[in-house]
Amino acid sequence: MKVWDQFVRVAHWTLAACVLTAWLTGEIKARSGQLVHEWTGYAALAVIALRVVWGWTGSRYARFAQFVVRPSRALQYARAVLRRSEPRYLGHNPLGAWMIIALLATAALASLSGWLSITDRFWGVAWVQDVHEVLSDALIVLIALHVAGVVYTSVHHGENLIAAMLNGSKRPAGPGDVA
Amino acid sequence: MTPKRSLIVLSFALFVAAQPAHATGFATCDAGPRDAWQSQDKLTSLLKEKGWQVRRIKEDGGCYEVYALDEKGGRVEAYFHPRTLAPVPHGAKNHKG
Repeated sequence: MKVWDQFVRVAHWTLAACVLTAWLTGEIKARSGQLVHEWTGYAALAVIALRVVWGWTGSRYARFAQFVVRPSRALQYARAVLRRSEPRYLGHNPLGAWMIIALLATAALASLSGWLSITDRFWGVAWVQDVHEVLSDALIVLIALHVAGVVYTSVHHGENLIAAMLNGSKRPAGPGDVA
Repeated sequence: MTPKRSLIVLSFALFVAAQPAHATGFATCDAGPRDAWQSQDKLTSLLKEKGWQVRRIKEDGGCYEVYALDEKGGRVEAYFHPRTLAPVPHGAKNHKG
């Protein structure tokens, strides 16, 4: 059944492409490389802004209210993962939900600090440059954890979640699943 | 894409992304022993005389890397040789000053 609407899927892969491209072009000093780096950053900010709006106005499983849960619930879910007994969620599971918040926030702040660092006001200001570098590195670490979570959950629940983010469909909820 | 295929593509993309970034500055300098270097403060005051507003000086590739606003207020990232404080052109390799 359809779970991820078209906007969620396009936003997901666009943001992933922006972050990957920005990461790869971050150290390039040639002007063309810098332009690609800057524009993928602006594009990332635009996608994040639209995704946040969609988090209130989008389809059922796109809404923050559907998937953001109390941290205690996420901890409970994490403990279940350690026992390999976590339930299958049709939408985002509690840990995945917090990962989405962390990814969106970190990507937004990394992009914003990068933008600031090329304004006249903050040009060459050490803390802005440092914040941008630390957040960009943190973002890559979060992405690695995100992908690890996706691969683990895909294997454990016998469902290709990467394909689901491409075609939008997931297996309907069975007994014990959380719809 | 099949499940296996998408996993392979994804792991490859992450592998590429995880490569350590190379130090790819604008230029590199052959600056010799540090005790022959002039101070960053000296460079700052030289550039101030030119009308620059110096924001930050770092070392990069053996050169001094300066972030500043130039006399017209434009953002510049420029390299200078630590021994001679001469400007180092972008793309210079092991510049001798």
